[in-house]
Amino acid sequence: MSKSSKYLRNFCIIAHIDHGKSTLADRLMELTGQVSKRDMEEQLLDSMDIERERGITIKLTPVRMFYTAKDGKEYILNLIDTPGHVDFTYEVSRSLAACEGAVLVVDASQGIEAQTLANVYLALDSNLEILPVINKIDLPSAQPEVVRKEIEDVIGLDAKNAPLVSAKEGLNIETILEQIVELVPPPDGDTEKPLKALIFDSFYDNYKGVMCFVRVVDGTVKEGTRIKTFRSNKEFEVTEVGVFNPKLFPKAFLEAGEVGYIAASIKSIQDTTVGDTITGVLNPAEKPLAGYKKAQPVVFSGIFPLDGSKFNDLKDALLKLQLNDASLSFEPDSSIALGFGFRCGFLGLLHMEIIQERIEREFDLDIVTTAPSVSYKIHKTDKTEFIVVNPSHLPDPSDIDFMEEPIVSASIYSPPQYVGAIMELCQDKRGIYLDMTYLDAQRVKLSYKLPLNEIIYDFFDNLKSRTKGYASFDYEITGYEKSDLVKLDMLLNNDICDALSLICHKEKAYARGREIAEKLKEVIPRQMFEIPIQAIIGGKVIARETVKAMRKDVLAKCYGGDISRKRKLLEKQKEGKKKMRNIGSVQIPSEAFMSILKTNK
Amino acid sequence: MAGIYIHIPFCKQKCTYCDFTSYPKRLNEAEAYIACLYKEIKLRSNELKQKSFDTIYFGGGTPSIIKPEYIAGAIKQLKNMYNIDVNSEITLELNPGTVDKEKIDIYKNCGINRFSIGLQSGQNYHLQRLNRIHNTQDFINVCNLLKGENISCDILIGLQDQTQEEINDTIDLAIKGNVSHISMYALKPEEGTPIFSNYLNGDLPSNDEVADFYETAVKYLDDKGFKRYEVSNFCKDNKYSKHNLNYWKRGEYIGFGIAACSFIDKKRFTNTRDFDDYLKCIISNRFPVVDNEEVTEDEAEFEYIMLALRTSFGIVLKEFESIFKTDFLKKYENIIKKQANYLEISENRVIIKPEYLFIQNNIIIEFLK
Repeated sequence: MSKSSKYLRNFCIIAHIDHGKSTLADRLMELTGQVSKRDMEEQLLDSMDIERERGITIKLTPVRMFYTAKDGKEYILNLIDTPGHVDFTYEVSRSLAACEGAVLVVDASQGIEAQTLANVYLALDSNLEILPVINKIDLPSAQPEVVRKEIEDVIGLDAKNAPLVSAKEGLNIETILEQIVELVPPPDGDTEKPLKALIFDSFYDNYKGVMCFVRVVDGTVKEGTRIKTFRSNKEFEVTEVGVFNPKLFPKAFLEAGEVGYIAASIKSIQDTTVGDTITGVLNPAEKPLAGYKKAQPVVFSGIFPLDGSKFNDLKDALLKLQLNDASLSFEPDSSIALGFGFRCGFLGLLHMEIIQERIEREFDLDIVTTAPSVSYKIHKTDKTEFIVVNPSHLPDPSDIDFMEEPIVSASIYSPPQYVGAIMELCQDKRGIYLDMTYLDAQRVKLSYKLPLNEIIYDFFDNLKSRTKGYASFDYEITGYEKSDLVKLDMLLNNDICDALSLICHKEKAYARGREIAEKLKEVIPRQMFEIPIQAIIGGKVIARETVKAMRKDVLAKCYGGDISRKRKLLEKQKEGKKKMRNIGSVQIPSEAFMSILKTNK
Repeated sequence: MAGIYIHIPFCKQKCTYCDFTSYPKRLNEAEAYIACLYKEIKLRSNELKQKSFDTIYFGGGTPSIIKPEYIAGAIKQLKNMYNIDVNSEITLELNPGTVDKEKIDIYKNCGINRFSIGLQSGQNYHLQRLNRIHNTQDFINVCNLLKGENISCDILIGLQDQTQEEINDTIDLAIKGNVSHISMYALKPEEGTPIFSNYLNGDLPSNDEVADFYETAVKYLDDKGFKRYEVSNFCKDNKYSKHNLNYWKRGEYIGFGIAACSFIDKKRFTNTRDFDDYLKCIISNRFPVVDNEEVTEDEAEFEYIMLALRTSFGIVLKEFESIFKTDFLKKYENIIKKQANYLEISENRVIIKPEYLFIQNNIIIEFLK
């Protein structure tokens, strides 16, 4: 077995969701003598139940395969799996940094789709050698030649040698391996140069500490090597290095060109940022490798512990989740109804749902998720100004001169046919058109100024669905601007319910008020008296509903056989009542109250 | 003094709203059942020999559908084996379509001094829809046969298409039959009954509509001299149901037969609902009890309050004190203050104001810890 990097190939497989990437990965592994990756997954990634349940891959585990090519030489092929889902572009770009080549899988019956394009652009930007492969040719609806042309026209890749395969049937898989050997360049890197290893992922092991997934670019590293990271400058001693087969497989050393892991008793994830460079203490590299742009959250929500005393448990849970998910961001938040919690940022709605599920399942915490909030700048008539997140902290309207809200400058990228839909969306979100340019025939860039509070919840999701997944966007907070903001209050039986107050733009206030009033009417149970529900802005009622008084709740009959049953029924009713929240004189079941605060989609 | 309940689980056919334990198809096994009933009465006689009883109630099913001799035999058995007060109230539930003069005479002779007739509605089309086996004329005939007796009848509110006028007419019919007691129930569709499908279908009047009907009917009854003494029970001339009053005063009672419930010496227990299991148990000299509960002090106190507040007598303060050794007004002072709008407090009792009787659950649960 040659150790020279000449016989090393680092590649990944990129594709749109469900185009057959995982099946293809399995086939490659089988052909090279590895057991199906899925069987191995169990042992390595216990914590990824949710992903398995949903049938999506999120976690990356590199796999090392040995392949004897037609030229008789044995090659080491490192396969790095990537997620296909739209939310995890950040994960994809990390794995690309460890590779020299990318096998692009395109479904012969579906052709090029949104995520295909997105990932291809990422790969092109990383200067990878792209090998197109046309999969699922076993399907009756397969149109391989059409797809081949599409690849050439839409992406501009030469696809004349793209193999036609069926991962499911195992057809023509060997050709892919040959092409990888032939066309993907071996990693260049010098084992003599000072150690430089790029951290492209990590996970936390209870015994070994943070395990860094690395791509060694230059130099070598082995047990005992003293290393440090450029970002934190902290020093560690390597306890173990190894590769993935796909389980952790310790080795004597890792050298330039290889993909593997380093364990160095690193206790805190803060010391090893993904994208950072590891180098040696004794002979350090001068400059770090080019890192990553920090993943930008596009969806936010408030997460609060249902039981207020569990705040620290929630904090721990989020910190632990962040260990293996650098794209999760959070900062403290508070609300009258829910106490202390966090405002969290996610890469998309799926990301958010998965994190929420993981908190509930892995950490056994009951949480409430709410629509996110932003901070507003209040300018009082006495010329003082301050920041407010909680509507209840707003001063009396007569003391307010004007209010400002945070604004972002957003760039939206999309194929030209969706421009109309996008402009409509942005307008609906109070956006101001700035500019539109054509990056090339297939990509338009739209620039809009948008209020932050309009894009922090479902803007991203809306954008994706209106553009069949093809659009993407990033944004930058540019500062505060004056805005027509109002405070919306809800009155229940003429008492203000602080927890339901919110600050929103005048344009949106009427609709919101009506929506909340209607929802309250649905969830508030009838009580001994009639309950008026009112939404008010500046003292003016803008929406009104009524919950009628109860007329009958008693058991008609109560004879010998009914007494015990009735008593138990009332005992149960009493228990239920204890769990209710009292908003002034009105009682609402806790769950119902939460449902009003929750993000509704 | 305590009460005795006897369950006769036989019917000709099931009414669409019935979720009582009754077996229309097993009328031919009545003899076997009655034999077991007599035996059960005997089996319990020893442990109950210290108790005295002053009410007996035959309920069902349709107690009047079996041979009247069986009823007479049961009363005889009870009088032999238990301390039955000579002025006891003995009630028989009957269906107007199942009795004739001969039967009535036997009933009168064996000691039955109160008759509860299942009228339900004064309109034949309702009766047919409910699958009742009688019509309004049958009701009048029975009332004639029972002239001079203590008669009660049942009325249902909340039937499909029922109008306020029909309800009033039903009440008028009952008065024409000379009843001195009326039990008026708001129909509650139970899962598993045919009428439940009507409920799901939206055929039945809404809860609010029923509440309106009921309220008006209560007033109508009041105008005709029938005073409400319990949520669903009305009478004139103080002709209460003694047997039921015992329940609402949290008195003791023993139940015989399928599904019968008992409350003796702080224990509540129920007989099996299963016909065959009942027979098997009795034949092998075992009590056919399926549920057993010992009521705690706190539960007992709450039960007392829960039951008393159903009635117009309410919580009689002196009685409460003597049973629970507690001053009611003091112990529940805060709760009473909080509910002041709904309660009527006098120096000797506390009742729920009549207009809140129908929504009393919310008031009563406040008395729970």
